Amino acid sequence: MQPTSSMNKEFLKKWQMGLQIFRPSIDNTSVSERKRAIKLSADVAMASLRKGTTCWSRALIQKTASEDNFLVRQMLSGIKEETLINKKLPKVMCHRKIVRRSKKILMRRKSRSAMEEVAAKAKKLVKRKTQGLRNAVPGGEFMSNNVLLIQETLDYIVSLQTQVNVMRSIVDAAAAGIER
Amino acid sequence: MDLTGAFGARSAAVEPCREPPGLESLHLGGGDGGFTALLELPPTQAVELLHFTDPSPSPSQTAVAGIGLDVSPPPPPPLLHSYGALTFPSNSLLLERAARFSVMANEQLQNGNVSGETTTTSSVPSNSNSNLDRVKTEPGETDSSSRRLENDRCGKRKEVDKKVKGSAKKKSKSSEENEKLPYVHVRARRGQATDSHSLAERARREKINARMKLLQELVPGCDKIQGTALVLDEIINHVQSLQRQVEMLSMRLAAVNPRIDFNLDTILASESGSLMDGSFNGTAMQLAWPHQVTEAEQSFHHRQLQLQQPPPQQQWPYDGLNQPTAWGREEDQGHGNEHTTLMAVSENMMVGSASLHPNQVKMEM
Repeated sequence: MQPTSSMNKEFLKKWQMGLQIFRPSIDNTSVSERKRAIKLSADVAMASLRKGTTCWSRALIQKTASEDNFLVRQMLSGIKEETLINKKLPKVMCHRKIVRRSKKILMRRKSRSAMEEVAAKAKKLVKRKTQGLRNAVPGGEFMSNNVLLIQETLDYIVSLQTQVNVMRSIVDAAAAGIER
Repeated sequence: MDLTGAFGARSAAVEPCREPPGLESLHLGGGDGGFTALLELPPTQAVELLHFTDPSPSPSQTAVAGIGLDVSPPPPPPLLHSYGALTFPSNSLLLERAARFSVMANEQLQNGNVSGETTTTSSVPSNSNSNLDRVKTEPGETDSSSRRLENDRCGKRKEVDKKVKGSAKKKSKSSEENEKLPYVHVRARRGQATDSHSLAERARREKINARMKLLQELVPGCDKIQGTALVLDEIINHVQSLQRQVEMLSMRLAAVNPRIDFNLDTILASESGSLMDGSFNGTAMQLAWPHQVTEAEQSFHHRQLQLQQPPPQQQWPYDGLNQPTAWGREEDQGHGNEHTTLMAVSENMMVGSASLHPNQVKMEM
C-alpha cells in the first residue's frame, strides 16, 4: 500500500507542530543543529501517526526521547507520553561467543550430507539477513518472532515513504522559493 | 523461533521421544482464524491408544483380535466423512485398532520411538477387513525400514522424521474418534505430516510467506527475485536508502535559509485549510507523489554523486522554463500552484537523470 494523501497531510501537520517548538530558538546558527531539529521532529511526527500501535513507532519515540525529551513531551502532549517515554523493553542479551562455540560443537557431532550442508548454509544466510533487518528497523531487536518483524517492516516502509515524500515536496518548494 | 524454520528447511536435532502432541495445548487455531490448516488431534484417543499399547501385547490378544477381525460380520461403519467428521467407533473397532497399533507400537518401542499420534488419512479409509490386514503389514514394513533409516542417522533431521512418520501414519490410519471441538477440520496434504507441531509451523510459514509477498510488492524490483535471502537483502537496502533520504532531505532543508523553511511551514499551515481541502491541489499532489516514489531513488543517487551541498540553482535547470508561468500564477493563488508546478518540474528533472540510475545503483549498493 502506498502512502495516501491523508497520511501526508497528517504528517505535515504534526511535523510543523514540532518545528514550531524550535521557532523561538530560530537562531540555532549551525546547520547541524537545525538539521537535527528538523529530523527529530520529523521522526516523532512519523511515529506519532501510528499512535503507539506498532512496535517500531514506540521504539522510535523512545529513541528521540533519549535525545530530546522536551520535544517529545511537547509533541505528544498528553496522550501517551508517559507510558511511551518511560517504558523500555528488555533486550535479549546473548553472549555471541559462547553461543557460537556451542553451535560449533553441536555441528561437529552431527553427520552431514551434501544436501544438509546446502540447506544449513541457506538457513544461516537467511538468519543473517533477518538480523540485518532487525538492525535497520527501529526496535527490531525487541520483536521476538519473524512474523511481527515483517509486519513492522511493512508499516515502517510505508511511513518512511510518506515522510520522504512530504519532506521532498517541502524542500522543493523551499528551493524554488529561494530560486526567485 | 527463527525465520529459517519458517522458510522451509528445518534445523535438526529433535529428541526422538515425543510425547503425543495431542496432549499438548491444542490452541493452534486460537489467534489467527484465517489459517485453516489446523487439524485437531483428539487427545483422548491418543491417550487411549497409549493405554492400549502399554500392557504388553501378548500373542493371545492379537490372536483374539485377529479372530475378531475375521468373525465380525459386518464391516465397520464408514467412519470417514468428507472432512473427517467421525462417529464414535465401537469397542470392537478399538480392539482392532489397538491390535494394529500394538504391532506398530512394538516396533516403535523397540526402536525407542513412541508416538501416540493419530492422523486423518487423506484417501484411504480402510474399513474392510482385508484392507486392515494389508494395512497392518504395510506400516510394519515401512516402519521398520524407516526406523532403521532413522537410527542410522542419529542426528536425524526433523523433516525426514516427520515425513516418514507422516507417510507411515497416513497409510495405517483409518479411523479416528472425533469430539465436538471448535476446530477446523482440514485434510492433510499428501506426503505431509499432520501432527500439531508441523501444522503450527506450517501456519506460521504461510503467514510469513504471505507477508513477504506483500513486502515484495511494496519494494520496487523485488517481485522478480527468487529466494528469501535476496528479497530480504533488497528490503534492507530499501529501508536504508529511505532513511538516508530522510537525512539528506533534512540536511538540505536545514541548509536553506532558516527564515524561509520555518516560515514556509507556517504559510503552508495557515493555507492548509484552503489548499489541502481543495480537490485540485489534493489530486495534483497525489499524482505527483507516486511519481516521486518511483523516481525517488534515482534523484537520490543523482544528488549523492554530486558535490556535497550544491546550490539549488544547479539542481533545477529546468526551473527557468516554467518559472514565468508559475510565478505569474503564484500571486493569485498562493503556494498551491507553486507546489504543483514545482512537482512537475522536479519530475522532469528526475526523468532527465534516469539514465544515470543503473550505474548509481551499483555504486550505491
